[in-house]
Amino acid sequence: MSTPPLLRIEDLRTYFYSRVKHAFVRSVDGVDLEVVRGETLGIVGESGSGKSVTMLSAVGLVTAGPGVITGKVTFHDEAPQDLLQGLDSNVKIERRDGRIMHITKDNQAWQKQANLNLRGVRGGKISMIFQNPRAALNPFETVGHQIAESVRLHTGMKSAAQAKERALYWLDQVRIDSPRLRYDNHPYGLSGGMSQRAMIAMALAAEPRMLIADEPTTGLDATIQARIVDLLDDLKTRLGMTMVLISHDIGVISRLSNRIAVMYGGRVMETGPTAEVLDEHANGHPYTRALLASTPRRENVTATGRLPAIEGEVLDTINVPCGCRFRARCQRVNDTVRTRCETREPELFEIAQGRRIRCWLYSPQ
Amino acid sequence: MASVLSQELVTTAALLLGVSLVVFLILYLAPGDPFAALLGGRNLSGAERDAAFEALGIPKTWYGQYLTWIAHVLQGDFGISMRSGQPVVREIFSSGMKTLFLTVGSLIVTLAVAVPIAAYSAVQPSSLRARAGTLLVYLFSALPTFWLGYMLIYFFTRKLGLFPILSATDETQEYGWLYALLPVVLLGLGNGALSEIVRYLREEISRVMSEEYVRTARAKGASIWRHAYKEALLLPVSQIIAAKMPFVLGGAIIVEQVFNWPGLGRVAWQAAQDRDYPVIMAVTLLAAIVVRLGSFLHRTVYVAVNPRASQQ
Repeated sequence: MSTPPLLRIEDLRTYFYSRVKHAFVRSVDGVDLEVVRGETLGIVGESGSGKSVTMLSAVGLVTAGPGVITGKVTFHDEAPQDLLQGLDSNVKIERRDGRIMHITKDNQAWQKQANLNLRGVRGGKISMIFQNPRAALNPFETVGHQIAESVRLHTGMKSAAQAKERALYWLDQVRIDSPRLRYDNHPYGLSGGMSQRAMIAMALAAEPRMLIADEPTTGLDATIQARIVDLLDDLKTRLGMTMVLISHDIGVISRLSNRIAVMYGGRVMETGPTAEVLDEHANGHPYTRALLASTPRRENVTATGRLPAIEGEVLDTINVPCGCRFRARCQRVNDTVRTRCETREPELFEIAQGRRIRCWLYSPQ
Repeated sequence: MASVLSQELVTTAALLLGVSLVVFLILYLAPGDPFAALLGGRNLSGAERDAAFEALGIPKTWYGQYLTWIAHVLQGDFGISMRSGQPVVREIFSSGMKTLFLTVGSLIVTLAVAVPIAAYSAVQPSSLRARAGTLLVYLFSALPTFWLGYMLIYFFTRKLGLFPILSATDETQEYGWLYALLPVVLLGLGNGALSEIVRYLREEISRVMSEEYVRTARAKGASIWRHAYKEALLLPVSQIIAAKMPFVLGGAIIVEQVFNWPGLGRVAWQAAQDRDYPVIMAVTLLAAIVVRLGSFLHRTVYVAVNPRASQQ
């Protein structure tokens, strides 16, 4: 039997309440994902597809209400550990005709339990880097201090001198110029690229089993983006790191990930090896095909000199239609599948080993 | 840091000079003759008056008088109280300390109540405890200080007999200082600013809690308060102290009346009644210094906390 995946997410649902619209926003609506040891999983999708919220939910960083309501997140380092253990007892869901009408959640008890579940895991075994690194670093403390804190919290090195040595080591590892000088810098003295390097050093200083990179290159200059991608690529091979990379940038995803999950409207639409998912000539989900066709590349530019865009708007996850979520924007719907598309949501059909697509076109029947 | 502090000192000196000049001018232009008492209450003619001034070494112009006063003040001499004949410094020192005790004590009480309620209701806004705390705070702020004061006196001295009516003057008793607690607590809770402070702090805390760097702290498994306290607590609290100092001083005067508290407020009131000019000048200057200390504290905390400010 093969080794269990490092992280398994099953039927994760994260809803937010919109006071303006008096309705639930179903940001994550039944997501299943697996992250295998040593791989880099790229999660791709348009803004609002729920890719960031999925990973933030898995490590208990969603604070707005009601937040995570159901699901199972198993982190299997040495022994399986349910990160959402005992949380559902604090959530009461009222359903009518299979639809969720009302959610009551004891947020205080929920947070307490989540923090208990995640002690030693969050920041230690699973660490994160974010987009907008300059805001993600504490502006009131030196960069070195923040990295050393990570060392002291999660490794055996408790003394200040040891932690500082280790922090300097990591600053060197992320190839920051003159680490000793940067150690005493406050974040405002650093550029965006340097801040992201410092963030990466801070995340790695905990010596995690898994790194979650949430849009790590978004908001950086194009040249800096490329360097951060190079750095992540290098660190990943050198440290044999397991990584989850969240990005809307297919270029970044294709550089770094072995496997891809494409998300749309709070659900995974397609998973598979990077090469196959991104191959325009292979079988694939209509959404992924449309995404690929709209990435700025020479071949994609049409005769009129324009890039094809995906028609329609990103799914409003308040009024999720019945049937397929992508139906309204789909270009490949045909008469054989149309009724099914309109009435029933497809499951993730396995079309090859490790390759699943949520589309009626790939239904075995 | 040092340059910021010296800059503050220069500003303070200029401010005090300005305040003293304005107050001096107001007193000079106000009806009543400061020298009447000195000259034995007699109404002297112009020539006799000039001769008397000459004999006593008093300058005739207002600016001459002001400069003489300043020159003495710079040597630590605030003159002699016209009413008691005592040096002004001695006159206002003990009452000044009592008022300082009242104001600083009440600020501590205010913050000791406001900070936990604000922090709790920022983190758990919909919880029952947060709502109860907020309601209590609004109730205290809505009640007028003097009314609350008389109610406290009624309950604690008349009904329970725990406190003497003359609070701080009762120094003969062993635990005399304990009696000062009642007015301190009253001014701490009853000054109308409590609800405003809670609201301001709560807003600041919840704003900082949603900052990205606090999420990073959570993501790295660190204590979020260890990362958030500087921006969420230190800065707003020192800001509050700076902003509320004048109002607390004003509130102290009311509480001093209610509790018969021999503080600066009573001395100032008495001095104004008696046209005791040296005392009025000294009290005004002291009040200005205390108010200035509040903003000095804020500035110091700001510079100490904010890495950008300290490097300019």
